[in-house]
This record gives sequence, structure tokens and C-alpha cells, in this order.
Amino acid sequence: MDRQYKVVHCTINGKKVEQVVDVRASLTDMLRNDFRLTSVKKGCEVGECGACTVIINGEGFNSCIYLAVWAEGKDIWTLEGLTGPGGELSDIQQAFVDEGAIQCGFCTPGFIMTSWEIVNSGKEYTDDELRKALSGHLCRCTGYENIFRAVKKTMLRHLGKYDEAELVNSQGITEYPEPMPFK
Amino acid sequence: MATQLLMAKSPEEAVNNKTATAAFLAGGTEVNRLGSDIAVKADMLISLKKCSGLSDITEADGYITIGSMCTFQDLIESDTVPCYLKEAAHFMASRTKRNMATIGGNIASLRSDSYLIPTLMAVGAVLEMEGNNGSCRIGIAEYVDRSEADALITSVTVPKEIKVISRRFANTAQSHAVLTMSAALTEEGIWLDGAVKNVGLLHFCDLEKAFREDPDISEEAIIEMVRVCTGLHTADDMFGSDTYKRYLIAVTAYDLHKRLVGKEV
Repeated sequence: MDRQYKVVHCTINGKKVEQVVDVRASLTDMLRNDFRLTSVKKGCEVGECGACTVIINGEGFNSCIYLAVWAEGKDIWTLEGLTGPGGELSDIQQAFVDEGAIQCGFCTPGFIMTSWEIVNSGKEYTDDELRKALSGHLCRCTGYENIFRAVKKTMLRHLGKYDEAELVNSQGITEYPEPMPFK
Repeated sequence: MATQLLMAKSPEEAVNNKTATAAFLAGGTEVNRLGSDIAVKADMLISLKKCSGLSDITEADGYITIGSMCTFQDLIESDTVPCYLKEAAHFMASRTKRNMATIGGNIASLRSDSYLIPTLMAVGAVLEMEGNNGSCRIGIAEYVDRSEADALITSVTVPKEIKVISRRFANTAQSHAVLTMSAALTEEGIWLDGAVKNVGLLHFCDLEKAFREDPDISEEAIIEMVRVCTGLHTADDMFGSDTYKRYLIAVTAYDLHKRLVGKEV
């Protein structure tokens, strides 16, 4: 049977685009092959590792199991869309650098896209909720703690809790100072 | 290998175009993944993403009706969906996957490590089906037994008030579970259902009978009963030995029963 193609109209990183795609192509394939957005990684291709995560209409999706044709009319963001016009890193990207939350870097774009959704949600996640929210991503290098710390600190800063962000220790736990003894 | 895609606008259009070599495509977590048998065997996929009326959650007379295209995350975020079903939806650890996977798709894929089916079987969920001969309602246990691949699940109805406990055992939150088991307490007694990896979706009627006949039956008796059960076709594989799986089923069933009837374990 002949292959079937369709035209997809969508917005990628704020720019309206249209692209002819094979109806069986994944969104990962379209973003990487047609738009050269190579931050979208091909990892497991079964929706388990999270390396291909992109934001679609404000929510994180595994683009490897998301058909490109489903992106019709959608607003899609990848890691490339987070940087400033001069290539300046966004705060969540900078936090990953500052906290040493990267090693080989393969999982990093996916982690950052989910983290971006978390820190822009306006919600203060508990440590437990934050770990669960990040659980769709696999990292074989860092051991997760640095990633967790980077996301937690950025979330607190987004909520205006700058002092509290400085109290997050190396284990990602917020260490409040001892209260002054009552006199 | 599927090369054609139909974006159905309604359940009727999806069903009318369903042939022996076509497959329904819901959230995509099963059909679109690398190595999916479904996509390899089908020549056309019928996407249900644009189908109208399959994503509603409604409540009537103590029952909740959930559209088959509701995602796991929809279930978790809904104020109407009962907690026991939210707990089962949380078994899928990845939030990005929960944004895609649908309740209808999870049922239709009939996986032996299903996230939702044990819970839905334990509460006696009823499926609304749309087929070439019109619509019908069947119990989920019956669906599991005869798997109507040509009919489309349009909604799932579950009771709102029922006591249910579920457990899932896997090496990590992301791993395939060796066992998912749910127990519900009804007027007739305990209902026990499970998904055992590489074995299938099971209704543990012998264990239910044992708990009904003797609510104080010992854990040792349950372990022995499952150990010698000839109707249970567990085998040694990468998820564990036959002995381990039988032991796990027994102690989990005992634990769930004790917790449901309010006794300490």
C-alpha cells in the first residue's frame, strides 16, 4: 500500500510552520529531521525514558510516541525555544549548569522541558510531588539529586522565595535555620 | 506495517472503517511505541483523537461514566473520578505518558501488566461498546474473556462508593509490573482480580471463595493453596520464578483481604 502524507500546520517555538509529513511519522522525527531541532532526543522510542519530551499546549508529552499529524494546530515548545535571542540560557537551564545537573547531557533537554512546565505552573510542589513529576525521565549519570535540586531552587525563585531557594542543601532538602532561643 | 491513517471524527466513522487489518489508535502509548505488534500487523490505523464525545466524565445514580479517550492525567485531575481509580492511574509513573495514555486504550490493549484492568474488574466496571451491529454494554470481565477487537469502547462506568485496595509490584516505578492486584469489598464478599506479567488478566475466584468461607483463614493456608493451584499457569522468566510469583499472589491477596475487612496485617 502507498504511503500517505498530510500537511501539518502548527506553531513551533513561537513560529508558525507547515510541513508535509508521512502520517506514521512521530513528532520526534518531524522536529529533528524537518526542523533540525536536535535537542529532541531519540532514546527508547517506547515512551519510557523522557529524552524526547516537548511541551504541547502547555503540557509535557513524549514526542516519540506522538504522531506528527496530531500536532495540527498545536503550540509546541522544544529546548531551543527557551533560550534568548542571543543564545542566553533561561533560568532553568542555568540552574542545571549551576547545580551540576548534567553529565553526558542526553536526558537533559527532556528533563528541562518537564522542569520548565513545573516552574511555570505557579504551583509550589512538595519534595515528594516534585520527584513524582520528574519520574517520567531516566538519567544514567547524575543520580537525580542535582537535577532535583536545580528544579526545586528554580521553582522557589519563580514563586518569589529567593531566601528559601538558598536554603536548599546538597541533598535537595530545605534546611531552615534554628529558631532563636526564647529569652 | 500500517501506512495509512484515518482521523475519525466520530465513533460511528471509526467503527464503519474498522476492518480485519485496521486497528484503533487511542493515546498512542501502546500502538506508536517501537516494536508494537499492533502497528506491524495493521495496514491502517484509525485515530480516535478527533472523535467527539469520548472525553466526558459524568456522574449519575452513584455511578461515574468515563469517556474512553480520557487520559490517565484526566482521571487524576478530575473531581468526579473515585480515588481508587486515581490510585490505579498513578501506577503509570510517567506524567508525560499519563498525558497520552487513555482508559479505553489501556483496556483494549489487554496487557498482562495492565495498570487499570485489575481495579476495573474488581469493581465490576461496565463498558459501553460501539460496533457494526450498534451499541451494547458488557462487563469488563466478559470483555477480557472474549476481546471484541472490532468493537470500539466508548465509555467505562464504575461505582462511586466502593471500598477498593490495589497493589502493584515492579522493580522500579517505570518497570513492567510482575503483579498488579486489586480487591474490592462488595455485599457478596471480596472480589479479587489481578494482572500477572506474561500470564494474563486473572479473576482469583478460588481465593475469593476461601476468604468468604473462612474470613480468618491463615496466611500459610493461602500460600499453600496458591502454591499447589494447577489452574495458575505461572512460569520462570525474567520477572521472577514460578515460586516467587505464586508466593507474591498469595501474600498480596491475604494482605488486601485483611486490610479490606479492617484487620491488622
